[in-house]
Amino acid sequence: MLELKNVYFSYKAQFPVIHDVSLTVSSGEFLAIVGRNGSGKTTLTRLMMTLKKPTKGDLFFQNNSLENATPAQMAHHIGYVFQNPDRQIFHDTVAEEVAYGPKQIGYTSEQIQTYVKEALEVTGLSQLAATYPLSLSKGQKQRLTIASALAMQPKILILDEPTSGQDAKERKQLLQLLLKLHQQGTTILLVTHDMEFLSSCAQRAIVMAKGHKVFDGTLAELFHDTRQLTDWGLIEPVALKISRQLASFHLPQTPSISQLGHTIVNLLGRSDHV
Amino acid sequence: MYKIAPITKLALTVFVTIWSIILQSLPALTALIICQIILLAIAKVGLSVYKGIASLFVFAAVLAGMQYVLNNDLMLAAITACKMISMTLVFFILLATTRMQDLSAALVLQCHIPYEYAFMLTAALRFIPDFLAESKAIQEAQACRGYSPQGNVLQRFLSYMAVIKPLVLKAVTKSETMALSLELRGFGSRKTRSFKNNVTLAYQDYAMLFSMILFTSYLMMQIS
Repeated sequence: MLELKNVYFSYKAQFPVIHDVSLTVSSGEFLAIVGRNGSGKTTLTRLMMTLKKPTKGDLFFQNNSLENATPAQMAHHIGYVFQNPDRQIFHDTVAEEVAYGPKQIGYTSEQIQTYVKEALEVTGLSQLAATYPLSLSKGQKQRLTIASALAMQPKILILDEPTSGQDAKERKQLLQLLLKLHQQGTTILLVTHDMEFLSSCAQRAIVMAKGHKVFDGTLAELFHDTRQLTDWGLIEPVALKISRQLASFHLPQTPSISQLGHTIVNLLGRSDHV
Repeated sequence: MYKIAPITKLALTVFVTIWSIILQSLPALTALIICQIILLAIAKVGLSVYKGIASLFVFAAVLAGMQYVLNNDLMLAAITACKMISMTLVFFILLATTRMQDLSAALVLQCHIPYEYAFMLTAALRFIPDFLAESKAIQEAQACRGYSPQGNVLQRFLSYMAVIKPLVLKAVTKSETMALSLELRGFGSRKTRSFKNNVTLAYQDYAMLFSMILFTSYLMMQIS
């Protein structure tokens, strides 16, 4: 669906931020881009949204070149959720805030009503539809920005560090929401360095290091060699460490804490405790 | 220009403003503008300063155009635009070549302005690049939601509210956070302040001040 071919990007000619990156995002995928701070993760997604233009290379969406595309045009296809929700909130109510995007895109008032209602329902914000958005908690604001993106009916949802500043409950709610959206068919691209969160939801991971794509594969492949993870500035998930310790019990290794929980409880024969 | 004391550059700002008001001929004002651009070039200021100056020229041209439409006097429109450019350019020189801490120290130690007021001025100036960056980030965030200003001036202005409102809210939040942070660190608890910045005048400052006074006196005599 979305394709990057030998993409380069630099703010200053002598310091490339993105160096020869090629990748494809297929429909229905749950993909995560990981890497240490300054590795080029966010810049890569900004290129996809055409907020930045590549210095070299090509981007395609559904086989159409994005050379002359604008972010406002891309908003028809890609929903981009920024790390800082306060940057986009400006309406008096949550419902009005969510309706802004669909209005800009040019949907009819009936469509806008339907899409806003659906987006509020799926993000669990229906009860807060008439609330002043800036009085919401950080987690609720994050869900509001996701609802704003979803109301535009995007094919791909890009989330930049969605877990930053969220408490455990908000994080869990966000995880459930993303899994639900993915099940409903939304392609999700997550930018994060939260390995616990990534291992709970993503199917495929891309690792960025110093502007290079150094890994592209499944989570099982990513966590196969933990020495590489350290080199890339990543930490292996706690669940993977524990399951490795439990290898003598012939348990399958897993980076997901919920899967590990299930496996251990099944081993103990007490599945009613999960 | 970086070696010149902040108080001398403040004096330059005042004198250039006076000269811009006094001078009425287009060649004289053009020469004043060129001199200021040469000063900026000598100071080797960054590209962003020149971008700002380019915007200033565009803005001045628009104003000149409006004045020409209203008065039908091309010379008057050109002179007004040159006066505006000249008076604004000197602020570019001051701000691009002076550290905010040095400006604060000069205002307090040499101009005897209370530190709170000097700090207010420097803090406001320091926030300008922050707000420009914030404005760009908000425009990008709204562009991702389909924001694309189109239509006539009124429609564009109304759609620009999507950027202005979050920007104002961020500014208020930021200033409140800064005020609290300052209070928590004991801002204003001491009557007297000391500065480690050296803002004393050197020979070149005295020479520059003397030249400026001399030139102003000459212009005054020419008028009278």
